[in-house]
Amino acid sequence: MALNCARLSDKQDINARPRVFACASSAVAQERDPEYGFFAGSHLPTPSLQPSPKVQKALTAPPGSEGDRTVMKRAHQVWLPILLVCLVTVAANAQSFRVQCPTSTITHPQALHDNNSEPAYSGPTVYTACTPGQTLPDGSTCSAWGRYVSSKVNGAIKCQQISGGDGYATMADGTQTYMFSFGPLSGLAKIASGQPGTDFPSEFNTLYSGANPLQPGDPATTNGATDSPYSPGNLATFSFNGAVGLANDIANAVSIYDISESGHVVTVVGNAPLGVAIGQKVTIAGQDTTGYNGTFTVTAVNVPNPFFAANLAFRYSDPTTGLAEVLESTSATASIRAGIDGHVETRPILDVGVMNGNIPAPLMAIDEDDEFFLTLTNVGMIMRPDLFEQHTVHFHGYPNASSFYDGVPDASVAINIGGSFTYYYLAPDAGTYFWHCHITPPEHLQMGMVGQIYVRPRQDRYSGDLYAGLQAQEGDLRTACNSGDILCSNPLPLVKTGKSGPGLYAYNDGDGSTQYDVEYPIQIHGFDPNFHFVGMTFNPEGFTDMKDKYFLLNGRSYPDTVTSGPMFTQTVDGSMHYSQPLPAIINIPAGKRALLRISDLDVTEYQTLASLGIPMTVVGYNAKLLRDQAGNNMYYNTNSITLGGGESLDVILDASDTSKYPSGSVFYLYTPNLDHLSNDAENFGGLMTEVHIN
Amino acid sequence: MRATNMKKAILKTRLLAPMVAVALLLTATAFAAAPGIKATSFALTAQAAYVSQPDGQMIYSWGYGCAQAPGASAFVPQTTTAPFCNTMQVPGPTLIVTEGVPVSVALTNNLPVGAGNTSILFPGFTVNATGGVQGLLTQEAAPNTTVTYTFTPTSPGTRAYYSGTQSDLQVEMGMYGAIIVLPKTIPTACTTGLAAANVTVEGNFGETDFRLAPAAYNSPKACYDREYLFQFSEIDPNIHTQALAQINAIAACKAASTPICPNLDVPTEPYHPAYFMINGRSMPDDMDPNYSPQYPHQPYNGNPHMHPGEQVLLRIIGQGRWQHPFHEHGNHVRILGRDGNLIQSATDANSLAGPLLFTTTTTPGLAMDGIFYWTGRGLNWDPYGHNPNSTDPVAKLSCIPDANGYNTGVAAQSQLNYYEWCADHNKPVQVAPFGDVAGGGPVTLPDANILTNGAWYGGSPYLGPNATQRATGCSSDPYANPKTTCGGTGSTPPSGTIANPPGSEAGFAFMWHSHNEREITTNNIFPGGMMMMMLVDSREFQIDESN
Repeated sequence: MALNCARLSDKQDINARPRVFACASSAVAQERDPEYGFFAGSHLPTPSLQPSPKVQKALTAPPGSEGDRTVMKRAHQVWLPILLVCLVTVAANAQSFRVQCPTSTITHPQALHDNNSEPAYSGPTVYTACTPGQTLPDGSTCSAWGRYVSSKVNGAIKCQQISGGDGYATMADGTQTYMFSFGPLSGLAKIASGQPGTDFPSEFNTLYSGANPLQPGDPATTNGATDSPYSPGNLATFSFNGAVGLANDIANAVSIYDISESGHVVTVVGNAPLGVAIGQKVTIAGQDTTGYNGTFTVTAVNVPNPFFAANLAFRYSDPTTGLAEVLESTSATASIRAGIDGHVETRPILDVGVMNGNIPAPLMAIDEDDEFFLTLTNVGMIMRPDLFEQHTVHFHGYPNASSFYDGVPDASVAINIGGSFTYYYLAPDAGTYFWHCHITPPEHLQMGMVGQIYVRPRQDRYSGDLYAGLQAQEGDLRTACNSGDILCSNPLPLVKTGKSGPGLYAYNDGDGSTQYDVEYPIQIHGFDPNFHFVGMTFNPEGFTDMKDKYFLLNGRSYPDTVTSGPMFTQTVDGSMHYSQPLPAIINIPAGKRALLRISDLDVTEYQTLASLGIPMTVVGYNAKLLRDQAGNNMYYNTNSITLGGGESLDVILDASDTSKYPSGSVFYLYTPNLDHLSNDAENFGGLMTEVHIN
Repeated sequence: MRATNMKKAILKTRLLAPMVAVALLLTATAFAAAPGIKATSFALTAQAAYVSQPDGQMIYSWGYGCAQAPGASAFVPQTTTAPFCNTMQVPGPTLIVTEGVPVSVALTNNLPVGAGNTSILFPGFTVNATGGVQGLLTQEAAPNTTVTYTFTPTSPGTRAYYSGTQSDLQVEMGMYGAIIVLPKTIPTACTTGLAAANVTVEGNFGETDFRLAPAAYNSPKACYDREYLFQFSEIDPNIHTQALAQINAIAACKAASTPICPNLDVPTEPYHPAYFMINGRSMPDDMDPNYSPQYPHQPYNGNPHMHPGEQVLLRIIGQGRWQHPFHEHGNHVRILGRDGNLIQSATDANSLAGPLLFTTTTTPGLAMDGIFYWTGRGLNWDPYGHNPNSTDPVAKLSCIPDANGYNTGVAAQSQLNYYEWCADHNKPVQVAPFGDVAGGGPVTLPDANILTNGAWYGGSPYLGPNATQRATGCSSDPYANPKTTCGGTGSTPPSGTIANPPGSEAGFAFMWHSHNEREITTNNIFPGGMMMMMLVDSREFQIDESN
């Protein structure tokens, strides 16, 4: 009963229903539905319309032929083909998987900086007024904004793709636990080595060029791994960090039957479907269409028109007005070019994304002033094909968020299975944030859809006197800490320390007090094995009785927390996956300072983490520098911190005194909630890790 | 979901300001504020009644209520519609008093006889008790007798009150409430400048001031424009069931004149709560109006609304047994004070030193005051979807930045985009034009058919009916058949946005909830529990907190 209620409330949109039924019944029904008229315009390469060989094999396998496998596997054999066929159908019809990673935007014009590295900070960005439509010095067009970035561009463009689906993780007692989870669909090599998977455009917009296609479980399957016993191989041999599925779009050209303009909006009716999508560039050329000729961004497809079917027409905007209609031109063509434009193929996305869940979800890191394009690709939950579940990304703590990109399905939109949704953020104030799915939070968070994101401060990009650097930042009203803003968090420090950059800092402190040498994102979480088992077996989970039995730091319990490299789990499709790529061991070079970015997404209770031997200095809380409005640092030393779900905190472990913290010493971070020092039935392990001074 | 019960009284009001003359205001009832009873002497009673939960359960509870119905003028805000104070409510009546003015609270124990004595603790005050009998922590009222507590509040702020007798049971049963002390002196900063402008703008758009006072504390940093009170508590239904069974057994025993009757002995451990409430209600009941007749014993709601730029005072109290990480989506909260103690900088009394939190942990017995606001600053796109090339004058409003970068000048005070963050004015978010919202921005939205819309989705990425209608329904299309027009109640897809209609509200909705996510359930049902939707509304939507 409970779950019925949940599902109904999550899926009130009538749009979801025909899709569910169409998907479950047949693709033909969808083609006929005028609401889904985009099938005819699709120009997907044919391979992605075919079920993968794996699916065909599963479809044709005689029932019961593998009776020695587990019940889980049999369930998977029944449902995997159905869902995969479903996914392929939806994706093909809607051309719904897609990534976005522009190389230039009005905030980050390529002409000023190539956006493939972080430019040094030398002061607030300079804007100049322009008239919309006017040609700017770099040749681009002034937008409706009426301003353009004319110098001191700050930050860059960052992109990342993640899958929303399911997977398995291995608990410290050896149990394999089913999860609803996110997995990496870009930055695979970085994620596997415990780094943030966030890419610059030049990394993200890279086609996979390996000798063999990406395999299910990659990079756990082709990096030199051996099968029996499984060895994860050499991470260095797999170096692909681009967007999985990214493919050159296919060139196409059609002759134009009619081209007309109303205001700035041009409607083009071709003699055949061009197969163009909104946002793609289209080139108009012809001897009698000179006013129209040029390359434009398509703004509408499937346009009803008096001549032909809607899928033969599309629209774009141009700067001119008053162009005469050209009917039955003999020379005019509309064409799209081959190239990387966000078009992806379905096959690699499903091969890599399905059953590829990570705990914690892929790590993200951006720099203040970056534009961040985060594409969530919903590959479906193979083990729960009954759910047709959407997923979202909630960037927890994003200040002045828009509800549209806030990821709460009740307050916004959520992407259905078979589609991609790109979240867009301007990197906010520096700090330790985190992210998670916001669909049925008690379920999806408990099931594992939790991850980490942090924003590095401008001060990292500044050399020179830190105080002067923070003063310069006050020139940017967006981050200025003037007295009128009650939520400002980092006013100028009361005490000038005279410290200078460059360096690494947790916040824009202006005094160097949050400087660190190494940083470790640590996420606290908990798994209730009963809930996960029920969640895998098509039964409604009870919420009131939820009780965590595995206590996790970065998805691992002690002693797995100190295991280096990615942890791997074999999923029910037989492939190996890097289920827990992020160790929780803290390695501090002797004499150095470590920043722990600690967040808690436990859904049931408060968790305490204590330090045995090396004091914790808390410098930030809830992604804000601990400083009062008068500029006094409010840091405090402690030996334990306590967080509830949805909180974060920045701790510096200062090992600069090598007489106290000599090389080779080992300290512990553990929970004084002593019943949490356990791995389910094992009275050992739990919420604990080690600090090694190297 | 019972959120659909929300009444949408639609009124049309023509605005006088020339810049917005074309805009029609559509008023839906928003209800909230921090309602209570303002007096210097209160006559309370402790009684039993049943409280309603959204799973249909009526839970046997005890609570404080009014011994006599207060006069209409005692209820604040004064504009509240049809307020009531029954003889039992959960939480108890919110007592609103003024710093420095003596207060007396008389409590009559009308609990079932088997419940024994009861009392009220007022932590943070020096209390004198008269009458009653000596209890462990304070003077108690024996069954059917009265005890009177008097004290003089010496500092402003929000505090909890709760039973001091057999508290493990009586607080669990619902015997708690809030006391709000208003500052004696209002700082000049809170009645001039931007604070005064915000009140003026409310008036310009036909809204009423629903504040209890212009400031939470006597500090220029404690000004506010709107306020909400949230009390967090849990219910373990087994405790309530057992309490009722024992009370009935004791009553039957006494009625039969049995010489020895058992004493009340309800085990309160192990604790296993199934209901997680804000102001005594679970979501979605908490979003129904204050003093809604279907909740005779749960008069207070949790349904915050605000306009961009308004400083919103949150008065948050932990009344249950557990801590709850209350996550405010949308922005941080600056904690002003705890239990009526302003947290000031050690070096400057006019500077605040309370933390900035996106998750405000509620702690049993602890009250905190904090300021929240939402402006959209830093989105890097214009949430109003302004379009300088539109034929719609509302789409072409100006934005003239003040010293902080916001559109707050005198001219702006009658514009829909009052308090807009001007740096992003007109800045597009989408690559392609979206209806009558300009393109040229960084992102492309997916086909609307592969998205599922939420009940509080405003209908577009943009804020307010004007932007939403321009984005979704008002582009003139020479070939469209049938022609799309600007619908009065929203337009073309999306559908199902029932709780935040594109045509009348189209606010930005944010979930405010316990982030121990298990607690956003009602007895195993999701959604429920400690959850509500906060709406940031464009000025087109009148926020009416009169009930």
